[in-house]
Amino acid sequence: MKSIVLSSVVVALLVFSGCSGKEPAVDTKKSEVEKSAAQEVAAVETETVAAEDSMVDSDSNANANTGSGMSMSDVESELSSIYFGFDKFDINSDMEDKISKAAELGKTTAVNYNVKLEGNCDEWGSDEYNFALGLKRANAVKKALVAEGIDGSRISMVSYGESNPTCSDKTQACYAQNRRVDFKILP
Amino acid sequence: MRVIFSLLLFVSLMFGSDATIEVIKKVDALPTIAVEDASESYDDTFKLKFFKSIIADLNVISLFNVDRFHRTISFDASSVAVENKDMNYVLRYKMSEGDDGHLSIEMKLLQENETVFTKNYKVNRSNIYMFISHAIAYDINEFMGESSVEWMKRKVIFSRIVGPKKSEIVISDYSLSYQHVILKGGFNIFPKWANKAQNAFYYTSLDGKKPTLKHVNIKNVTVKKVISSDGMMICSDVSSDGKTLLLTMAKNGQPDIYTYNIDSKTYKRETTYGGIDVNAQFMSNNKIIFISSRLGYPNVFSKRLDTHEIEQMVYYGKSNSACSSNGEYIVYKARESSNAFEKNTFNLHLISMKTDFIRRLTATGINEFPRFSKDGDAILFIKNYKNQSSIGIIRLKHNKNYLFPLAYGKVQSMDW
Repeated sequence: MKSIVLSSVVVALLVFSGCSGKEPAVDTKKSEVEKSAAQEVAAVETETVAAEDSMVDSDSNANANTGSGMSMSDVESELSSIYFGFDKFDINSDMEDKISKAAELGKTTAVNYNVKLEGNCDEWGSDEYNFALGLKRANAVKKALVAEGIDGSRISMVSYGESNPTCSDKTQACYAQNRRVDFKILP
Repeated sequence: MRVIFSLLLFVSLMFGSDATIEVIKKVDALPTIAVEDASESYDDTFKLKFFKSIIADLNVISLFNVDRFHRTISFDASSVAVENKDMNYVLRYKMSEGDDGHLSIEMKLLQENETVFTKNYKVNRSNIYMFISHAIAYDINEFMGESSVEWMKRKVIFSRIVGPKKSEIVISDYSLSYQHVILKGGFNIFPKWANKAQNAFYYTSLDGKKPTLKHVNIKNVTVKKVISSDGMMICSDVSSDGKTLLLTMAKNGQPDIYTYNIDSKTYKRETTYGGIDVNAQFMSNNKIIFISSRLGYPNVFSKRLDTHEIEQMVYYGKSNSACSSNGEYIVYKARESSNAFEKNTFNLHLISMKTDFIRRLTATGINEFPRFSKDGDAILFIKNYKNQSSIGIIRLKHNKNYLFPLAYGKVQSMDW
């Protein structure tokens, strides 16, 4: 008996979902809307507020931790970020020149400094995987620098996931700018 | 078509208790309930605020068809408001403001003009009114004899980004309407409750030279360092006894999963794959699940902690980059569109170890941070849709999702 009831329920559900033109047997009694002065609150499911604006785009503190002397920030300004493809952590050929230049600096002007590689991601993914992706990007740059002759012990790494964007527009160009590894010079 | 019918029928009868497929069973009309406000203290704005909160909570317990009209009446009126005379139940409450600013509420539940349940509540400040609202819904659920909604009383901890490399850690109620910033300044992310009592938590600090896991005792406000690792350090899960942590660490730039024993302060590497292994979660039977890139894209895998046996758990979805588990169930986030840049849809799916059946839990937008309640009855998640962010709660047994708008800030990570 139970199965018959259930099966008719299942069939009824499928029929109704299948033919949306037919009016389902919902009770049509009009709810008491008009007369009372009672205030109706909004349905629970609705979303109204949309304040995603708390992201501060200021770059003002980007060099805040350079602190000791000009030469470190000079070196840092010579180094440009390495950019990556969507969901990728291998280094594109057009980025190799930048890495060679960084390695050259590391062996000459900046020979007394260490470097921190900061991996970053676009906003597609805001979980642990994204942090790992940022780290693999930093690690790819580290391997490339070591291959160019830099001592691995001078290089540390960190991933900031999607939480350190340089650009917060919702455009392809902007996402591409955020998929990057930055160089930070340490004493 | 017929085959599909009978197959569905067969499955629904065979596995009636499985949460992945229980959708079909509940077709009975729900009893109706209306809410009557008998408050004398407070202004209309606050009255309506509380009313909205109680309406939302009554909806979330999924036992009633909730009337949304705010009607006022005397608390001792012998019959319900005339508009509510056809309701199965009427909840009536009266808020009073004490001299010292405390908020007390008298509540009664009426059925056919008879009081069937009554209780009084009190909090020290009126700005934490939502905890009374949750408590009323919890008590009514208990009164109706339904399975417990203990999770309604649990606290949520989350981190939000407030600027480049700046974040806050916040403790809130389950609907995120009450928010208390517990950690401010610096770059602190991935908070995780350290125990069932929710009086301590772990988080990752990125301010030092190396990412460091720290432990905060909320009661006596002490912060202590647990362990640090080059590159990456995240506490992904805490065992039910609070003794073992599942960490993602990246010794030598290689993100892998480690177990960490709190007492002996020792760790053990659990995965050795050269790509990405993250987001480990304890399952039943000495198993963990985790997200790995070993197929070339992120997907959900499981590993037995006593052997090296690794198994792919999910065969649906293009990019499954986050998961949460409870006993035999796994909820995971899947990218459903292949557009790398715009209008991607990320939906949550539920799978069961018992049936291999997949149930899609969300339909639109970007749905992320799925978190099971401890009893497995509900899933909390964040929904981003059309530039709006909301906190969502999925009642698995009732096949219903509820959304609460988020005040501000992009959630970085959360735990429940």
